Amino acid sequence: MYDVIIIGSGVIGATIARELSKYNLKTIILEKEFDVALGATMANSAIVHSGHDPIPGTLKAKFNVLGNRMYKKMSEELDIPFLECGGMVVAVDGTQIEELKQLHDRALKNGLKDNEIRILNQGEVRDMEPNISDTVKKALYLLTTAVTFPWEVAIANIENAMDNGVELSLETEVLDINKDKNFKVSTTKGVFESRVVINAAGIYADKVSNLLVKSNYEIKPRRGEYFVLDSDVNLVNSVIYPLPTEKGKGVIATPQYHGNVLLGPTSDYVDLDDKTKTSEEGISYIRDEISKTIKNVPFNKVIRSFAGSRATSTRNDFIIEETDVKGFINVAGIDSPGLTAAPAISKYVTDLVGKRIKLTKKNDFNPVRRVTRINKLDTEDLNELVKRDDRFGHIVCRCENITEGEVIESIHRKCGARSVVGVKMRVRPGSGRCQGGFCQPEVIKILAKELKIDPMDINYNKSGSQILNESTKGEAK
Amino acid sequence: MKQYDLIIIGGGSAGLAAAIEARKNGVESILLLERDAELGGILLQCIHNGFGLKVFKEELTGPEYAERFIEELRGMNIEYKLNSMVTTLKPDKTIQYANANEGFVIVKGKAVILTMGCYERSAGAINIPGNRPSGVLTAGTAQKYLNIDGYLVGKRVFILGSGDIGLIMARRMSLEGAKVLGVAEILPYSSGLQRNIVQCLDDYNIPLYLNHTVTEIIGESKLSKVVISKVDGFTKIKGTEKEFEVDTLLLSVGLIPENGLSESCGIELDPRTKGPIVDESYQTSVEGIFACGNVLHVHDLVDYVTSEAKKAGYKAAEYVRKKLVNGESFRTIAGEGISYVIPQMINKDNLVDNVELFMRVRKVYRDANIIIKGDNKVIKIIKKKHLAPAEMEIVKLKVDDFKNISKNLSIEVEV
Repeated sequence: MYDVIIIGSGVIGATIARELSKYNLKTIILEKEFDVALGATMANSAIVHSGHDPIPGTLKAKFNVLGNRMYKKMSEELDIPFLECGGMVVAVDGTQIEELKQLHDRALKNGLKDNEIRILNQGEVRDMEPNISDTVKKALYLLTTAVTFPWEVAIANIENAMDNGVELSLETEVLDINKDKNFKVSTTKGVFESRVVINAAGIYADKVSNLLVKSNYEIKPRRGEYFVLDSDVNLVNSVIYPLPTEKGKGVIATPQYHGNVLLGPTSDYVDLDDKTKTSEEGISYIRDEISKTIKNVPFNKVIRSFAGSRATSTRNDFIIEETDVKGFINVAGIDSPGLTAAPAISKYVTDLVGKRIKLTKKNDFNPVRRVTRINKLDTEDLNELVKRDDRFGHIVCRCENITEGEVIESIHRKCGARSVVGVKMRVRPGSGRCQGGFCQPEVIKILAKELKIDPMDINYNKSGSQILNESTKGEAK
Repeated sequence: MKQYDLIIIGGGSAGLAAAIEARKNGVESILLLERDAELGGILLQCIHNGFGLKVFKEELTGPEYAERFIEELRGMNIEYKLNSMVTTLKPDKTIQYANANEGFVIVKGKAVILTMGCYERSAGAINIPGNRPSGVLTAGTAQKYLNIDGYLVGKRVFILGSGDIGLIMARRMSLEGAKVLGVAEILPYSSGLQRNIVQCLDDYNIPLYLNHTVTEIIGESKLSKVVISKVDGFTKIKGTEKEFEVDTLLLSVGLIPENGLSESCGIELDPRTKGPIVDESYQTSVEGIFACGNVLHVHDLVDYVTSEAKKAGYKAAEYVRKKLVNGESFRTIAGEGISYVIPQMINKDNLVDNVELFMRVRKVYRDANIIIKGDNKVIKIIKKKHLAPAEMEIVKLKVDDFKNISKNLSIEVEV
């Protein structure tokens, strides 16, 4: 019997889990996939938006600005990469200057402070961003825009939640939900009982909700496709947005914490089956759109393209509310700026939980998570580390200089990696220019050894995604 | 900080030959750093034959070819370190490397030779529309899984790109019992060696689809299908789609010199080769740092890597002895029909013996001439029955040929 069941382990489920772990509650996260955070958290722009563009008065506007103000502290506590690079919305011709001013006013209405936004003239923009398109006349500079590493936001929050007592059950797909006195959540791994259920199932939130109560919204997967540029490309210093349209924030150039540049996303409603497919049209759309704001884009430096789908709802705003069934809370339709809003949403949801269960703070809550990162250490500390454990001297990922020690640590942490992509999400081998060509065989060997399973059983990402098909050496089977 | 006369980064075919040649020319203090567990580089996974025809006049497998150099290197007591990854390279030739025994160590060389080899262009770099399931990997990675680790990655295979590793893997996987359904090449001609087309595809009845590329990858967790289409140039022709039910898509779509270290050191790269710009001595834009082998430009035969690396090793030895002159140099120009020429710079004062110019043509030619001009005057014409981008051309010039050149040396193809 649990106090709270959280369905879904994306950034929303993860931050809620951590927030709840501050209280004396028995909480479990149910995730249907082989690993956490494989939905929209896996594929998005990684931006901590300032809150300049949501429509004033919406939950999006409220939680965006609040979430932005919470990110730095969360990132410090949980050792999550955080790049305070700022951002700018650019007007690519004279006709857009008026819209830029309206956006400036909207940002103020949403609660940004005077000293957090500023209109830049052409010269100022050029000085800050040498590769900005020549047609850019003015820009709205957003000082509080930042960039995070979404995979680690989810994983760090879940790890810290687990350190503080939260449980996680993977490969646990919810099949049915009933309520008599308590909730009974039937899954592929049996029935879980709880007093409160939080539905953070992302793109499947409407379907999960319908298991118990007819939902008053639908989720329409809205796909975004992206390009990743190699880390040796110095294209932009800050997040470069075009002016927003009804379709969203447009195709953005985002400097990533680890040195790459992300170009995207597109915005297209798709069927569930196509939610992570890249398309010919999408690829050419990004090329065309990005060329309106940035010049000299080196498309020959693309090292990856990918797609993910936002959980856009039919209600045009975040849905964060208790349903008619007391204790069943929907946290749905969390598309952009959901990543930014996540920590603020988690507080609000915790308050909703507090209406059903009396919340008392834990005395021994530990807010801190730390990860060993060799590229953060000076030579002296590195050598101390190698003396303690020589596997931190053995580099397995040549593009990003990731050591065997870091890979092993990622496997043995709480919510540890079990697949090749799981290791990549946690410590990044395979993220560089060779895309795992060299390190993937090494990562498979380490996973097999540490998890004590056959290399042929190691998955790429999901269940049933093994990479090795047949052993050709040794005794015949 | 330990000092060496010469530090070599990479113990593959280029690093081995360069180290041996430097020692033969009197460099006593040499350190060779190899990131893998063994010397030999990519040769170790190339268990097919065809290596050594030019250098040894016999046909060897990759490991056999490597072994000859490894034995010679060991016989000379050249110091080398395995499992040692270089993490930084600075213009003053200080190098940091890491391994499990010593941790992170800084050393300094009077000269450095870069021999880091190349990496394969990945699926990510070519943006094939569709899913991102498992079962899509580069041919070289599949080769490592099969020949080093002992695992076959799939049973029904399609190959994108007709680069040599893809062709070799078509044969290799067929021999291991996999069914290879075809090879698609976006260009109108193969990007691999003709002998590999014959020995690896024709002999196994594997169709080669020229002017075709993979236009969709289908599969949720594992690859289930690929769709190929005919192309006009690089544009897909609608209605020409063919589907193949496969569990594996191998990519052999190009090799890229691995120059992360070179770039971080400020070494100037050639956008065409993606390797350093070098002079006749294989010296890069940073004095005392040399480059050879696939880190410089991608070779099609290891024999050429060996001969290039020997020269770089010899010249680095000259540099250590302060015999190289940093005088005035002129450029070599890749003219009509030529995609690149190595070396890109020539310093006449350092020319002592014949000069070999390595180059590739831009497209397939029949009955064409390679014309070499010095200061726009023709100095040599070479008749060629057949020229193809997949086959590197070598032009040998004598020191005398350079006597009257002061501005540039250009090479072009004339039909």
